[in-house]
Amino acid sequence: MSATLASSPAGPAASPRTGAAIRVTRLVKHFGPVEAVHGIDLEVRSGEVFGFVGPNGAGKSTTIRCLLDLLRPTSGSVEVLGRDPRRDGVDVRRRVGYVPGELRLPERMTSRQLVSSVGRLRSGLDDAFVHSIAARLQLELDRPTRDLSSGNRRKVALLLAFAPRPELLILDEPTSGLDPLMQHEFLAMVAEARATGATVFLSSHVLSEVQRAADRVAVLRAGRIVAQGTVDELRGRARQRVEVWFSDAEDGTDLFAIPGLEDVVVEGRRLAATLSGPIDPVVAALARHHLASLVVEEPNLDDAFLDLYGGQS
Amino acid sequence: MNASRVELAIGPLRQMRRSLVGWAIGLGAVVAVTVAFWPAFRGSSGISEAIDQLPAGVIQAFGLAGFGTPAGFLRGNLYELIVPLLMAVAAVAAANGLTAAEEDAGRLETYLSQPVSRQSVFFGRTVAMATWLSALTAAILLVQLVSDAALGLEIETLQVISTVVLCGLLALLFGTLALAVAGWLARPSVVLAIGIAVAVGGYLVAALLPLSGPLKAWSGLSPWTWALGGDPLVNPAEPWRYAVLLLPTVALAALGAAGFVRRDVRAA
Repeated sequence: MSATLASSPAGPAASPRTGAAIRVTRLVKHFGPVEAVHGIDLEVRSGEVFGFVGPNGAGKSTTIRCLLDLLRPTSGSVEVLGRDPRRDGVDVRRRVGYVPGELRLPERMTSRQLVSSVGRLRSGLDDAFVHSIAARLQLELDRPTRDLSSGNRRKVALLLAFAPRPELLILDEPTSGLDPLMQHEFLAMVAEARATGATVFLSSHVLSEVQRAADRVAVLRAGRIVAQGTVDELRGRARQRVEVWFSDAEDGTDLFAIPGLEDVVVEGRRLAATLSGPIDPVVAALARHHLASLVVEEPNLDDAFLDLYGGQS
Repeated sequence: MNASRVELAIGPLRQMRRSLVGWAIGLGAVVAVTVAFWPAFRGSSGISEAIDQLPAGVIQAFGLAGFGTPAGFLRGNLYELIVPLLMAVAAVAAANGLTAAEEDAGRLETYLSQPVSRQSVFFGRTVAMATWLSALTAAILLVQLVSDAALGLEIETLQVISTVVLCGLLALLFGTLALAVAGWLARPSVVLAIGIAVAVGGYLVAALLPLSGPLKAWSGLSPWTWALGGDPLVNPAEPWRYAVLLLPTVALAALGAAGFVRRDVRAA
């Protein structure tokens, strides 16, 4: 069963002044002596899927909760769909679907009752659409929320976020606890929402998910954005593993001088190394040799993120 | 009132049904079992004489005056301390369960991320608490009136209604105080401690200060004195007693909402 996850036609899709669905300017958030976010600048364009990644405690959820006006910035400003969430919170939240990272659903009610309750707060939800999403997520609506597994509770949160057909989806670790089949379904739902004009702000630890879904990515570490760009740009920063098998026992020492080629190991006819720069000089140098085989692994986004997480931004 | 605002009160109330039934059964049992002893007290002069031997201050502090009469029996056994105190504890617990405990557990976020204002969420829960307490008050009143009739405890119905309603308003005041604290601070233990401590402290002020000549006038500061100081089981309660309990209740609700719209919402 499938349904199109179209965004609401009501209201402008983005800031009339900035064209950004989300604009965060020099956002700082302290919790007493703890500095969770140190001056983040971020812009999410209308209609894109934006990945927001970083290790635990990096400040992702803090930033997201500022967007919903659940937290108040210590300094800096936040603009969502052209509005200030502090001043126009009701309007902003009407146009936003949200999956919280630390998900705690109200207890003593079934998923169906919870959806009905949220529907009444949102002046009604499309029943057929709700049921189509529930079917896609294989969610039983009549089970009490307290009896649901963490994965099924996450499905309820996804249902609540997608059901209003919001202009902006803010999803904090949305696939946590979901099985691979449901993660795949979730990505399909994101793609459909995007295809109909919605903007998706996707915070995730699952890098493959970000790689598949996001147009652009920001990497957060210790409350600061350490990298921002397209997935390809970030992938380009990753080190690649290069493995060369020469046809004969050749002297490959000229390769040692290539900038960016590191950890070079020569064992007989085999040369292995990692490359952190452009591949052109390597190809040019190898052209002077006879090769039996050449393997250059695709840059891995995980490696790029691990480097960034580790401080090698 | 639009559907969204109704839902903000009705939704939490639905989740409080079990606790309402539990408190109603518990307090109803206290009332019914106490009244069940009335036939044994009626016509027994020995206990009244024994109580008359106690110091006047003790009789006053524990509401034991006229213990052999229906009004004195109910006051001394139920409405001097037990029922209003238990109702206050119930109200504080309900207020905490609707606000600080929910927020501390991260369960408010589902509602606060919807197109509703913080203020309307807070007032919705205030209305839910007041409605919950009204239902509890009605249940206690019903059990009291039925028990009185069944066991021959003859007392003016209006006096009983007035007393139970005043206990309900007293509990509402302490419950709203708990809400006000929760509005500024999402710490369930602090909310419970302050709510219950002020309720118990208020009783001590109302009960003990009149025993000391110089401090007697200060007992008028206690809401317990406002509610029950006129012995409503015997004397018709003056209208100002209802008003003076309601006014700070409204002010506390506004104070709590003012705090809730200003601070961060606590994450789970």
